[in-house]
Amino acid sequence: MMRFLKMLFTWWHHQTLSTLLHTRRRGKLMGVDGQGNCYYEDKHGASINGKTRRWVLYNGDIETTRISPEWHGWMHYTVDETPDQAAYVKRDWMKPGQINMTGTKDAHKPAGMADTTGYADGYDAWTPK
Amino acid sequence: MSETENNLVKVTVDGQAVEVAPGTTIMQACEEAGAEIPRFCYHERLSVAGNCRMCLVEVENAPKPVASCAMPVAPDMVVSTTSETVKTAREGVMEFLLINHPLDCPICDQGGECDLQDQALGFGGDASRFDDNKRAVENKNMGPLVKTIMTRCIHCTRCVRFAQEVAGVPEIGAIGRGEDTEITTYLEASLDSEMSGNVIDLCPVGALTSRPYAFTARPWELRKTETIDVMDALGSNIRVDMRGREAMRIMPRNHDDVNEEWLSDKSRFVWDGLNTQRLDRPFIRQNGKLTPASWDAAFDLVESKLKGKGAATAAIAGDLVCAEGQFALKGLMDALASPHVDCRQDGAKISGPRGNYIFNASIAGIEEADALLLIGSNPRLEAPVLNARIRKRYLMGDFPIVAIGEAVDLTYKAEFIGAGADTLADLLAGKQSFADTLKNAKNPMIIVGQGALTREDGAAVLAAAIELAAKTGASFNMLHTAAARVAGLDLGLVPGEGGHDVAGIQDAAQSGTIENVIFYGADEIAGASLGDAFVVYIGSHGDRGAHRADVILPAAAYTEKQATYVNTEGRAQMTEQAATPPGEAREDWKIFRALSARLDVTLPYDNLAALRAAMYEAVPHLAQLDDVIAADAPVAPPHDGLGAEAFTYAVNDFYFTNPIARASAIMADCAKAKNEPKNRGDSSEGTGTDG
Repeated sequence: MMRFLKMLFTWWHHQTLSTLLHTRRRGKLMGVDGQGNCYYEDKHGASINGKTRRWVLYNGDIETTRISPEWHGWMHYTVDETPDQAAYVKRDWMKPGQINMTGTKDAHKPAGMADTTGYADGYDAWTPK
Repeated sequence: MSETENNLVKVTVDGQAVEVAPGTTIMQACEEAGAEIPRFCYHERLSVAGNCRMCLVEVENAPKPVASCAMPVAPDMVVSTTSETVKTAREGVMEFLLINHPLDCPICDQGGECDLQDQALGFGGDASRFDDNKRAVENKNMGPLVKTIMTRCIHCTRCVRFAQEVAGVPEIGAIGRGEDTEITTYLEASLDSEMSGNVIDLCPVGALTSRPYAFTARPWELRKTETIDVMDALGSNIRVDMRGREAMRIMPRNHDDVNEEWLSDKSRFVWDGLNTQRLDRPFIRQNGKLTPASWDAAFDLVESKLKGKGAATAAIAGDLVCAEGQFALKGLMDALASPHVDCRQDGAKISGPRGNYIFNASIAGIEEADALLLIGSNPRLEAPVLNARIRKRYLMGDFPIVAIGEAVDLTYKAEFIGAGADTLADLLAGKQSFADTLKNAKNPMIIVGQGALTREDGAAVLAAAIELAAKTGASFNMLHTAAARVAGLDLGLVPGEGGHDVAGIQDAAQSGTIENVIFYGADEIAGASLGDAFVVYIGSHGDRGAHRADVILPAAAYTEKQATYVNTEGRAQMTEQAATPPGEAREDWKIFRALSARLDVTLPYDNLAALRAAMYEAVPHLAQLDDVIAADAPVAPPHDGLGAEAFTYAVNDFYFTNPIARASAIMADCAKAKNEPKNRGDSSEGTGTDG
C-alpha cells in the first residue's frame, strides 16, 4: 500500500503510476542495459522539438546518472542507433559507469580540501604537553 | 524649547521642505529629507575635510555646485540632489577618482564592501575615456595589522584625521601635492596605537585593509553574528564573521553609549585565537599526564574527589566567563555548602555595594565631565576605546586631567602628580591643588584602575577614592579590565562567611585544608601556588589553568554561547551564538548543571530559560539588557590604612591579557612588532599584481 501511495505522490522512489501507464500505452522497448534499466521510444513517433520521444524506466532509484554510459549517447540524441544496433565498442581505457555521489559520504574529496586536511571543524585542538 | 524651534532653518531639498537647526550642513539636511548623498571623505565622527568632492549638490543661485558636507545651510536654501548638473558633477568627480584607481577589484580585499565600487556603479559614468598610464604608489609599512596598497588610495584623508583626532597618534599624514600626493606614516613606522584597526573600516577603498584577513574570504560568504566583545570590560558591540565554524574576522558595531563605532585592536584581531588551542574534549590526568577521556570518565573522577568534600572545595571564576556560568557555579558552590568562591582572580580588594565597583558616571558621561582624576589606571591599555572617549572630551577643551601612577603617554595631556598612594592621601587631605579643582568642578570624575586595588592596601585605596569622591562631589568610577567581573560581583561570587578569597584559597590549598579547586576560566593564577590540590578546569582554551588541571571540562568561548556580560558601567548585554562549541565542548552552565547532578546537589534548572529566570530573580537588573541601572552611592569599605608604594597598572602586555589573546598568532605578531620597532610587519609580500 505504501509503495502504491509513493508511486502516486513521489517520483524519486519509483516510476510514477502515470509514467508506467504511459509506457504501457505508447512505449516501444528499445533495449535493457546491464543494470536492468529499460529504454523506450514512442511507438507512434510522437516527437518533442522534432525528435522522437525517448525515456527510461529505472530498475530502482530514480537517478539520472544511473543511465549506462553506452546508452547515454542514445538517450541524449547524440546517436540514433541503440548500443545493440550500432557497434558500440567498449575500449579498455573506459571505466565502468558510476552514479553521482555528491552529497553522500562517498563524495569525491580532492587532496588539500579542509575535510581531508583535518581542519574541517574550523579549529585547532589543544593537546597537552 | 520654543526658542530652538523658532531658530530652525527652513530648507527645501528636491522640492521637500525640512526644518533643521542652524549650523547644520547641507548634507545633514539632505539626509533629514531622505536624499542620499554619495561621499568618501566625510565621516560623522571625524572633522570635515571636504576634499573628495563627491557630495556636490546644486544650490539655487549658487554659481557652482557646492560640497554639501562642508557648507552650512542658509535660510530658505533650495537644494537639488537629482538635477542634471549634479548628475554630471558626480560623474565627473567619479571619473577623476577612477583615473588613478587600479582596476584590481577581483583581487582586492575590499571587493564587495567597497564604497568606491558601490558609488561608481550608482553615480559613475558607464565607460572609461582614459588611455594613459595609471599612477603607481609605493606601499607603506603600517605594521602587522594594516595592509597598505597605496595605489588604490583616493586621498580622502579619513585615516589621517582618525589618527590625529581619535587615536591621538599623529603618525599618518599626506605628503606631496596634486597627483603626487601620498598618504604615509612617518619614517615607515607602524601605528603606535591600540586602535589602529579602525582605519581599515574607515578606508572607503581597498588602500588600507586587514593584513591578517588578507585574501582569506569574501564578505558575501561570511555568516555575520552581532554580539558583544569580552577582551576588555567595555562590552564593545561587535559583529563576528564566520565561515562554517571558523571565525574569519571581527568588526565593530555602532553603539553610541559604549564604543561609538570604534574597536580596540585586541578585540578586532583576536579572532584567530578563537580557532586555535581549543579544548574540544575532556581530559583527565593519569600518571601525571593529561589524557583524553569521555565526559563520563571525567565526571567520575570529579565525583570521586568532590563528593562529601564540599567544604574543602573552592572555586575561582576567570576574566572572560559569562553571568549564566557564574550563576550556575555560585549555585553549585552554595549547594556544596562551600563559602570559598571568588571571581576576583587578580586579587582586587573590591567590596561593598554596587556603587563601589561600577563606572557610575557611564562611559558616555565622560563627555559631560569637566575634571578627571585617574588613580592607578592606564585607560589606554585597559580600555582603549574608553580612552578615546576621554580624548574626545579633552579635545573639546577645558578638561583638566590629573593622574596618580607611573607617567605614561595617554594620547592626551595628563598631569602625573604622583606615583603612589601617598599622593592620594595628600589629595584627600586637601594638600594638592587639584583637590580644589575637583571641588570647584561641576561634574568631576574619579576613575580607579584595577592596578590600584590588587595591592596589599587595595581596600584602603578604594576607601580613599570613595571618600575623595564624596568630599569633592565627584562621581566614583571603577574601570575594570575583565569582562566577567561586574557580573561576578553582581551575582555575589565573593567569599561567604568564613570563606577564603583568591589569596586565601591558594594558601589553604598549599596547607591542605582546601583539597579541590574549580577553575572556571581562571588562567591568571600560577599553578604551583595551589600545592597538591585537585584542580578542575572548566574553560575554552588550553592555557595556564588547563596545564595545571587534573580534570579539564571543555566549555564554550564567548562567541559560542548566548550569554550575558555586564560591562564596567553595569550595562548588561547579551552575546549571540556565532558557532557551536568545538567538538565535545558544552555551554558552561550545562557543565555545572551536569556536575551538580553527579554530586547529588542537582541545580533547579534544566534549560537556559529556567536558569535565567532564577538568575533574574536573584539579580533583577541583569534582565534589563542594554540599560545602565544607577547604583546607590559608594560606601568606603573598612581598611588597614594606606601604604606608600607606587601604583602599578593592571595591563602591561596589552596583547596577552587573556587566554584567547594568548592563543592568537596575530596578537603575538603585534607584541613582536611593538618590541622590535625596526622590524614592523613584513612588506615583502607583493604578488606583482597588487598595485
